[in-house]
Amino acid sequence: MTRASLVLASLGALALVSPARAQDSQFGIRGLGTPGRWESVRARATGGAFAPFDPFSPLLEASIADVRRVSAGVTGATSWRTVDFGSANSSLRASRFPAFMIAGPISSRLVVAGGFSTYLDRSFGITTRDTIDMRGSPEPVSDEVTSDGAVADLRIALAARLHRRLAVGFALHGLTGSTRVSAIRRFDDTSYRTSTARDEIAYHGLGGSASAMFDLSADLRLAAWVRSDTHLRADIRGLTVADDDLPFALGGGVRWRPGTEAVLAAAVAWRSWTGGGLNAHDTFNWSVGTELGSLTSPFRFGVRGGQVAFGPGPKAPTEFGISAGIGKQFSGGRGRLDFGLERLERKGTGLTERTWTFLLGLTVRP
Amino acid sequence: MTLRRRFGRLALLLALAGCTEEITAPGLCPDFCPGGQITVVDTIFTDMIGRDSAFTGYLEAYQGEVLQVADLPGIADSRAIFQLNAIPTRVRNDTGSDTVTVPITVDSARLRLNIVHRDTSVTNLWVKLYRLPIGIDSATTFAQLAPSFADSIVDSVNLSALLASPEITDSATLAFWGDTIQTDSAGHVLQVAQDSTLLLIVDLDTTQARFVAADSGRVAYGVRVSGDAPATLVLGSTEAGRGATIVWFFNFPDTTGTPKASTVSRSSIFDSFVFDPPTPPLDSNLAVGGAPAARSLLRVTIPEVLRDSADVVRATLILVPVAAVPGAPGDSFTVLARPVIADLGAKSPLNPDTVFDGKSRIPMNTVDTVRIELTDLVRAWARDTTAPTAFVLGQLPEAASFSQIRFHSTRTPAFRPTFHITYVRRYGFGIP
Repeated sequence: MTRASLVLASLGALALVSPARAQDSQFGIRGLGTPGRWESVRARATGGAFAPFDPFSPLLEASIADVRRVSAGVTGATSWRTVDFGSANSSLRASRFPAFMIAGPISSRLVVAGGFSTYLDRSFGITTRDTIDMRGSPEPVSDEVTSDGAVADLRIALAARLHRRLAVGFALHGLTGSTRVSAIRRFDDTSYRTSTARDEIAYHGLGGSASAMFDLSADLRLAAWVRSDTHLRADIRGLTVADDDLPFALGGGVRWRPGTEAVLAAAVAWRSWTGGGLNAHDTFNWSVGTELGSLTSPFRFGVRGGQVAFGPGPKAPTEFGISAGIGKQFSGGRGRLDFGLERLERKGTGLTERTWTFLLGLTVRP
Repeated sequence: MTLRRRFGRLALLLALAGCTEEITAPGLCPDFCPGGQITVVDTIFTDMIGRDSAFTGYLEAYQGEVLQVADLPGIADSRAIFQLNAIPTRVRNDTGSDTVTVPITVDSARLRLNIVHRDTSVTNLWVKLYRLPIGIDSATTFAQLAPSFADSIVDSVNLSALLASPEITDSATLAFWGDTIQTDSAGHVLQVAQDSTLLLIVDLDTTQARFVAADSGRVAYGVRVSGDAPATLVLGSTEAGRGATIVWFFNFPDTTGTPKASTVSRSSIFDSFVFDPPTPPLDSNLAVGGAPAARSLLRVTIPEVLRDSADVVRATLILVPVAAVPGAPGDSFTVLARPVIADLGAKSPLNPDTVFDGKSRIPMNTVDTVRIELTDLVRAWARDTTAPTAFVLGQLPEAASFSQIRFHSTRTPAFRPTFHITYVRRYGFGIP
């Protein structure tokens, strides 16, 4: 197989992956959704620890200051998830296309970038059975509520290297998206017709972020970021049905390069989701990861942990995951394929989720 | 295989596998379900039917699909009547071009009646045939024919006994009749038709089937029924292709003067039924059925709540009868509700699409509330604001019975027609 065919095969694979349509977690159903991961495959294979330093992770703008050629990156993921309610369990499968980014310099110091990523995933489907009293008689019913869509984060970012040790970045975020929703009630008694309600919810919001990267030494880099999003407005046919606060978030990371073929990184992030409804919780997340080997074909490994933004009860659900991956450069460094595999477990009151996620990323520098 | 090739194939395989999504899981509510709830509301709308009217004269008894025969002492006496078509009184006696005709001499006749249904609980169900004066028509009344039904009995058949008799299955019988038959000592024959109705065949001699050349062989008959209990019987009519028929057996002299046998068959040119007492005139209530057929037009106002923010899952029309419909025990008839395509009062054309129809069986001698399911109709009205929201109540089939039911109208507030509606409120999408 030639390099060109390898690239084409990978592009085809990415194109076949459905765009942003999978609920990563049942915890997000009774909430605003499941927050997306603003990470490229490279960053995610390190547990997210490399996200602050990776220009193709839509987390931190300052990192794109080092992009010296027009480059584009895309991420695809397929997950297999088991949901364990204690009394019942279910297996789910979903694919998504959570991030795309393109960046390029506009001057010797300034780099501009744009792209989108998943801000909140709102695809889910649930079925329930119940018996209700109808006209004095118990009637068994089946309900099915589905939502298909997501809120995307459209980002335009500007980064500048102010000093050989300092880079800063700013970004404006337009939050937009829609979900097709349906609620269907079926009655076992055919005297009652099936009730079907369908609608489309449009979401709107705005945000801004700023970040900085500082090199303490040639091998040690620090990064910090802050982001504030306003409100997420949900409209149905022009009528606002919900207006929820979006979080203020901040985080940081450190990257250490102890040798030419080893990089270690760690990152933390805090987000104030509590304005997002009764089931919302503030979250703190951490990650540690490493990238080993040559730049052309590194091996990556990472762990992550922390809290989940939505879940029942006063205490936030928790998550813990491990991930690994490899990368492969081709065409003299003009392209790179990244593969990753992540195992994640989320635990909350009454529910445990376990997910395998296969990740595929492509970065091209024409 | 190179590493790159393996990577490429793996990527394609996994992406293709990922294209099929399965995102629906059992819900554990309320913790892991959306904030909205599917809420069902069950309400009786007493004022949905705003105006209603009854009209009569849609179909007369002679236009009905069947002819009702009944002997219900104290309730009704109904008799089928029919007149059979004329036959030629002279025929050509050769096959050449000679136009000379000769008179026919009738030997006998065979009358066939189609019994659509009967009261199976009545024993000794007698079908009685009467000769009627020719010239009966839609204006003929029960009273006018009373003398003929008193003194002109032609034949009578114990249908119960005939039904109990053994089937004759020999090859000669099958060859002649085409199927098994049952017969009695008087020679009456009973066959079961392909549609499970009964064919009663009665042989008539020249005194029973009087051939009068001046009348061109037209004859008229009437049918009564009796039994050990109040009895009913329904005969087929010409409108449904099940009218009475007669076969005349005659002979005529051929060119040598030798009698030559032949037959000619004729069907009814008019059939109807007459009954006593007659249907009372319309009043302020909603009349349905009878002969001439009555219909009631009900106009509906769809509440705003059903148009804007609800999904109707069941709609039941509730009608309160003014009184029980008298009739034979165990008998019943059907009331049909069908929407109109334009509200033009008595002349409102009915929607030919039967998908929105609702119907209910009305048992005799009971005053139970009548419920008719009109879910599809009300759902259609709730969505289409241009559709005329009116429907007609009629009997099914019309003009097939003297039985008429009357419901309380909107002019009787305590018992007015109402709708029992079950609907689902608009789902609260977008609420976390």
